[in-house]
Amino acid sequence: MGTEDPNRAYIPSRPAPSPFAATQSIRPNLLTRPMAGPDASVFRPTPPPQQTSTPFSSSGPVGSGPAIRPNMHPALLTTTPFSSAGPVSGSETHEFRPSYSARSIAPSTNVLPPPSGPPTSGPFQRFPSPQFPSTTQVPPPQTSPAVQPFFSPPTRPHISTGPTVPPPQTINTMPSCMNIPNSAVDSSIFAPRPNLQSSFSQRGPSNFARGTMQSAYQAYPGKQPPVVTQPPPVKSAAFVSHQENYHASPPPGPTPYLSPQSVYGAPPVAPSTGPFSREQMRPTGSGPPLGPAQGLIEDFSSLTVGSVPGSFDSGIDPKALPRPLDGDVKPKSFADMYPMNSDSRYIRLTTSAIPNSQSLVSRWHLPLGAVVCPLAEAPVGEEVPVVNFASMGIIRCRRCRTYVNPYVTFTDSGRKWKCNICALLNDVPPEYYAPLDATGRRNDLDQRPELSKGSVEFVAPPEYMVRPPMPTLYFFLIDVSVSAVRSGMIQVVAETIKSCLDRLPGSSRTQIGFITYDSTIHFYNIKSSLTQPQMMVVSDLDDMFVPLPDDLLVNLSESRSVVEALVDSLPSMFQDNVNVESAFGPALKAAFMIMSQLGGKLLVFQNTLPSLGVGRLRLRGDDIRVYGTDKEHTSRIPEDPFYKQMAADFTKYQISANVYAFSDKYNDVASLGILAKYTGGQLYYYPSFQSAIQKEKLRHELARDLTRETAWEAVMRIRCGKGVRFTSYHGNFMLRSTDLLALPAVDCDKAYAMQLSLEDTLLTTQTVYFQVALLYTSSNGERRIRVHTMAAPVVAELGEMYRQADTGAIVSLLSRLAIEKSLSYKLEEARNSILLRLVKALREYRNLYAVQHRVGNRMIYPESLKFLPLYALAIFKSTPLRGGYGDVQLDERCAAGYTIMALPVNKLLKLLYPTLVRIDEHLVKALQKTDEFKNICKALPLTAESLDSRGLYLFDDGFRFVIWFGKMLSPNIAMNLLGDDFTTDYSRVSLSERDNEMSRKLMHLLQTFRECDPSYYQLCHLVRQGEQPREGFFMLANLVEDQVGGMNGYVDWIQQIHRQIQQNA
Amino acid sequence: MAWDPIFWLIFFVINIILIALNIYQIVCLSDLEADYLNPYDSSSRINSVVVPEMLVQGVLCALFLVTGNFYMFILTLPNACYNAKLFMKQQHLIDVTEVFRFLDAEKKYRLIKLAFYLILFVVVLIRLVFTVVHHAIDHDGGIHEFGMFD
Repeated sequence: MGTEDPNRAYIPSRPAPSPFAATQSIRPNLLTRPMAGPDASVFRPTPPPQQTSTPFSSSGPVGSGPAIRPNMHPALLTTTPFSSAGPVSGSETHEFRPSYSARSIAPSTNVLPPPSGPPTSGPFQRFPSPQFPSTTQVPPPQTSPAVQPFFSPPTRPHISTGPTVPPPQTINTMPSCMNIPNSAVDSSIFAPRPNLQSSFSQRGPSNFARGTMQSAYQAYPGKQPPVVTQPPPVKSAAFVSHQENYHASPPPGPTPYLSPQSVYGAPPVAPSTGPFSREQMRPTGSGPPLGPAQGLIEDFSSLTVGSVPGSFDSGIDPKALPRPLDGDVKPKSFADMYPMNSDSRYIRLTTSAIPNSQSLVSRWHLPLGAVVCPLAEAPVGEEVPVVNFASMGIIRCRRCRTYVNPYVTFTDSGRKWKCNICALLNDVPPEYYAPLDATGRRNDLDQRPELSKGSVEFVAPPEYMVRPPMPTLYFFLIDVSVSAVRSGMIQVVAETIKSCLDRLPGSSRTQIGFITYDSTIHFYNIKSSLTQPQMMVVSDLDDMFVPLPDDLLVNLSESRSVVEALVDSLPSMFQDNVNVESAFGPALKAAFMIMSQLGGKLLVFQNTLPSLGVGRLRLRGDDIRVYGTDKEHTSRIPEDPFYKQMAADFTKYQISANVYAFSDKYNDVASLGILAKYTGGQLYYYPSFQSAIQKEKLRHELARDLTRETAWEAVMRIRCGKGVRFTSYHGNFMLRSTDLLALPAVDCDKAYAMQLSLEDTLLTTQTVYFQVALLYTSSNGERRIRVHTMAAPVVAELGEMYRQADTGAIVSLLSRLAIEKSLSYKLEEARNSILLRLVKALREYRNLYAVQHRVGNRMIYPESLKFLPLYALAIFKSTPLRGGYGDVQLDERCAAGYTIMALPVNKLLKLLYPTLVRIDEHLVKALQKTDEFKNICKALPLTAESLDSRGLYLFDDGFRFVIWFGKMLSPNIAMNLLGDDFTTDYSRVSLSERDNEMSRKLMHLLQTFRECDPSYYQLCHLVRQGEQPREGFFMLANLVEDQVGGMNGYVDWIQQIHRQIQQNA
Repeated sequence: MAWDPIFWLIFFVINIILIALNIYQIVCLSDLEADYLNPYDSSSRINSVVVPEMLVQGVLCALFLVTGNFYMFILTLPNACYNAKLFMKQQHLIDVTEVFRFLDAEKKYRLIKLAFYLILFVVVLIRLVFTVVHHAIDHDGGIHEFGMFD
């Protein structure tokens, strides 16, 4: 087939430039944003490689435009020149030629009835869904001529495009198709070549990104360099995938398609031709799109909304809506552009193209900033290299204190280096000197990870310490009032602590201490010389004092036996306690007094509302009358300033508080959580804790909290180049100065978001550098600095910003901003702020293209943000922001809010759009390998329609599992999994491994899922179809695409957004 | 009245105290902004003078009323009310945890207050001078009816 060998296609002679070419070729330079449509295409064929290498040149498909023209109806063409880019046009065309759109929507399933074509309901969408990538259209045009013989039209319609078109139509078009190959097809294919080559050649010689950029830059002054540096491999991958597509096996996910577009950076390329040709055809009503669109790469994606006037149909095909079924898709192209950047797991920008002017910033209505997860877990083999400069001292810029990184340049034959952030020339210390080679690179580049890797860790010399590195320190503050005893919390906590004693980081230096409290405070002397711990009770709550100066906090390895004795006896000591009071505030103060010498981690286990002493809270509850008024937010913020003050003091003394809140009643999580928020801690919330049910969850999460690698007494700063500045920070930390985050403890499960603003009205640099530096004490007592460096291009056009946007980072920032807003405004307003931003952003985007393209009734959005509307909807429906009074318990709402504020991007996305998989088939089938298993488990759209009453489904949001048993599920399966309980009330049934293959497989499957994301333990909830209200609570309320409780479903949501975009557009 | 110059002298001194307290707070905030001071110290210093400042301002306001300077009383009343409102809502202190977020607003608030105190300062100063002069002239049996703010 034609497409099988793209290279072959390149060979054909260049098409004669179209008449317009000469005059229009300059256009791309003038246009500020990459253009699709004939214009671009016309220009495309004009040969100079430099031009083609520029983003605009977006070679391929475009070329076809002019080429086709002669064959087609030139007149028509010119009249509808900009006709919306590719996918888009689908929607329009489908009115005329339904078959066409049908094809694209369901290439493999729809058999097209011959002439008239099936009535495709489907609004055509560019990337309809992973299974049916619209790009499939691309190859066909190219191949069609060659392929034609193989596909006699009606028989194999699903192969899409050209051939599939019903005979009558094809008859018309066929000739033209046939004609095209030499001219149109070839030319279109030809065009990309220069592009490819140039990028290849540029990249080939040096993988030094800047080199590439510069050359590209010269080639095309008006454009931003980065765009040009397209990693060729990706491109070819795209090619391949197209081919595969064409062969009828759709690629698993949308990624391949993403890549071409993003890689090109100059999307205009293909799409223009696709639609173009279609537009052409339209008037004649004849055949398929002739445009040999090479990639259908387009500026934007689109969705038809509200199609035919007068019809009741919403005009949206739910199947065609984009869904992030593959989870978090990180923008690949950017990483390829700057290979020396820190990995995206550590730092993600909301858009990798930094706007160059204030006016551009003001047109970018989405958050502009970054999400940083400095200690993200790296897969084996990709750990951050550790660099020890020893006596030399760490190489830093004299002026701006930037750490040496891959983007610094060495000059003066290696004796000086130029800071990439402030451009100051620094001397290279003699010990660090290395000669430069001919290309200006240091000879020892391979031996110096700090000069070749975006993420490195420096061992800090003593200058970086204000005191000797602290030992790891764990202090437990345990509520032993009656409810804690009854729920079994103490038992589980004591057991877990004991089991973790061996695994606490910090080896022999680890310190440990305990306080328990009810209406009095109990201190424990666990000196190593004792055989039994001594308990001291202090009942003076108003004037708290510590009964012993030391010995309350001891070295674990020395006092191991005493500590174990204490932990063992804790549950029994208090098993008869009937004290209902809780002197939480005084206990907190006592713990603070003990810990303030060293700092460390304070683990608080709080079971009831603090009722005695300072910091007592009242049952302010969830007053329904408050909702909807201006006072609504007050229930979501801490009532007593004591907790804020305490949190500030904790941070000052390097204490990080992790709060475990258990309660079946109101616990004022809003107040307790603030302790975690400002101390870099974490809030765990276990509503109605019962050890029988939630034991495993608490055990796992506490164990992870105790044993995960933790960085102590840390501070983090993010530096960036001149002209930009980070202005606001969002997450669990406290600001110690305008840009210094104090983090008493950090670990891999915490991420911090920050927003960026421009200081100058105009940025003159071409690249902005960011450097995150985290100075911390590792568990083994070494002071270290982890440095992540990142470069991002500065762009002058909005389209490029959209193209380089990162949905994950945007969603993370948006949700944090909304949650913060919900702390001072009504929920409604917090939600609306998201909607407003989304609408503004999409409207701005629409305005970019509305002039040139006939966007009509289509909603257009950048490919990079195709999931954004859905995620925004998911934020609307997320626990912290959902509904009003009755929808979520206040405590739960606050707890989820605190959790999301610290969540790394990928986990947040999973929480917002959980995974739903059908598992019954796999349980029945023969045993398979795990990895195969994963492949088979295809995520389903989160809508009730995905649930088949004969199936067994697993719903996983990273925090819990819900297993949904269909009504008509074979009793065999249920019995195997649940034993004899399978007919009873599922709320009492717990899943445990039973002695049969199926049960073992299920447990194994759950285990596999849990291992994917060990930061939280997903407790299993069993739900039977129709079993209300459990089904509604666990399952139906979480199907974000459905209309639940007065909140929009996905289709309505899209319509609403679309309507708002069009209003005052 | 023989007491007038003394009253105005007291007002004058109180006004200077207010200005000094305010400038102190502004300096603390700027130091914080410039990273010369950490937020803990900065906010504890500021918070330590917030309530005294409010009290002094309230006293001044009350004194104006007691001494029968109604125009001056009305001039300072809004400020006193605003302070009382802040105090009631417990929003008068700086929140150390979020100090950077509200840094600009707090600074602006204090600058406006400073400007107000300066205006008050000018007025009080003029009145003080007039009263003293008036008093002196009065003693010498000179011109009456000199005041402009009676």
